[in-house]
Amino acid sequence: MKTKRTSHKRPSILRSGRMEKIMQLTTLSQPSFKTVLRALFVIARKDWKIFWRYPLNAVSSVFQPLIWITPVYFMGKAFSTNGHASGFAAYSGSGDYMSYILLGTVLTNFIMTVFWGMGYALKEDMDAGVLESNWLTPISRLHILIGRTLTSMLTTTITSTVMLILGATLFGFKPTGNTVAALLTAVPMLVGLYGFGFAFAGIVLLMREANTMVDVGSFLVQGFTGTTFPVKSLPYWLIPVSLMLPLTYGLDAVRGFLLKTQTLLPINVEIIILIAFMFVMLWLGAQFFYRVERRVRTLGTLGQH
Amino acid sequence: METTITPRSLGQPGFASDARAFMAVIRREWTIFTRYPSWIIALLIWPLIFPMLYILTARALAGPDGSGLAVFMQTTGATDYIGYIIVGTTVWMWQNIVLWDVGFALRNEQMRGTLESNWLSPTWRFSYLLGHTGPQIVSMFMFIAITALEFGLIFGVRLNGSVWMLALMMLAAIPSIYGLGFAFASLVITLKEANAFVFLVRGLVMIFCGITFPVAILPGWMQSFSKWLPQTYLIHGMRAAAFSNASVTELLPDLIPLLGFGTFWLVLGYFTFLWMERRARKTGAIGQY
Repeated sequence: MKTKRTSHKRPSILRSGRMEKIMQLTTLSQPSFKTVLRALFVIARKDWKIFWRYPLNAVSSVFQPLIWITPVYFMGKAFSTNGHASGFAAYSGSGDYMSYILLGTVLTNFIMTVFWGMGYALKEDMDAGVLESNWLTPISRLHILIGRTLTSMLTTTITSTVMLILGATLFGFKPTGNTVAALLTAVPMLVGLYGFGFAFAGIVLLMREANTMVDVGSFLVQGFTGTTFPVKSLPYWLIPVSLMLPLTYGLDAVRGFLLKTQTLLPINVEIIILIAFMFVMLWLGAQFFYRVERRVRTLGTLGQH
Repeated sequence: METTITPRSLGQPGFASDARAFMAVIRREWTIFTRYPSWIIALLIWPLIFPMLYILTARALAGPDGSGLAVFMQTTGATDYIGYIIVGTTVWMWQNIVLWDVGFALRNEQMRGTLESNWLSPTWRFSYLLGHTGPQIVSMFMFIAITALEFGLIFGVRLNGSVWMLALMMLAAIPSIYGLGFAFASLVITLKEANAFVFLVRGLVMIFCGITFPVAILPGWMQSFSKWLPQTYLIHGMRAAAFSNASVTELLPDLIPLLGFGTFWLVLGYFTFLWMERRARKTGAIGQY
């Protein structure tokens, strides 16, 4: 049975030619660009406060990625003769494996921020019991998701900068190429990842569990996109999977600009792929999220965890 | 004639009641564990994907002609670099999972707001921690068995030693790994910033214990520090048991310090718990987070 939809248009008083007393419905807020910015700022400020409320966690986030790549540094030594990894150079065009890995790790920090920032933030809200009240606020839900990544993007930028400085001191990070071009190349990749983050947040809403999916997803992305190694060194049957992921080209192009490594495709082609990825992923991710979010509200499971 | 009301506790403490409380915690943990079926995926995928990053990096470092691999074999004395890495990463994951599971046992209760109510029940409080350990050990042994199976089937890693010697090394490691978890769980109740401590402890294991490289490659001061970590002996002993067919006598230099560290960490874990429990009640901070 179909239900009749009621019109949400406001009735015009003048059109009828009669003066009628009509109670006008107004929304609780008057959404505008300014209110969206204010909401984003409030969400980011709240996350910023929570982040610095645990200063040890904040400090450890700087050292954490360095800790992860330290075993690779020593393992690389076990594969090197007189400090030169000739095997690695044959794949990547550069024997400086630590600069290669450090740069990959920094980019992965940002990739993970989008993974964690949205999906995991929703899970945190579910556990804390505030998701439903947040959902009732007069702001687009996609904006809530974006807002949850702002502080983490800022802190990731700070921690990655410190990490590169420490990496230069401890492991000898030596970028020799065009930094501005590398940064501009990373932009469409990261914006496209927001689309992925929307879709992922939808899955978290549905599954009500984030840890496993975030961890497994992060590791698979790191493995297939070549965070710490050139994808050419993957087993031949895994290379097509890697080449299907636009992030592979993002990492490859940034390294190509900054470290002058051999790229998989001409850099211009890789940039076009990244821009296309950005638009497609944003649209797909938003569509998926809205569908799932509607489904979850229909089921009434939004606040369950 | 005066009647005196004798105060009676709500429970009748005894071994049977402690065992019942312990079993209740185990049952609760098992119910929560099975409530989220994604653990099955985690159990199948994690043993593969974590070592995979290091294995693929090692593959890249070896080069297309395998020239780097010859250098690695000469440095480590290992003939199978995949097996060499798997042992190290599995030990790291074991410690890591224990820190998150057992180490967060009390902290999670604190975050959910149920720690105070649990604390008020007339039970042996240490059973809250012990109860977490039972299902955890079962799931960890499943995890290690799946790791061996997956790498055996997919990568052809073969055991060149005794399964019993491997099991002996793992049993000897249980007191130190879980003792550390108990001490850790107690500390985070007071210090709150649990994540940072997990990162610190597992970071130490990652850097100093040689999960992907021989400890001998580390600078001198780092080698000295690694001798104070039980995981160094566990990784060394497990590699020897799995790939060099080492006997009990040959494993003794790893087994003895491992048991020594185990005793130390269990005692420390228990007394840290007692201290924390008393301190948290005195300061009234048990429910704060």
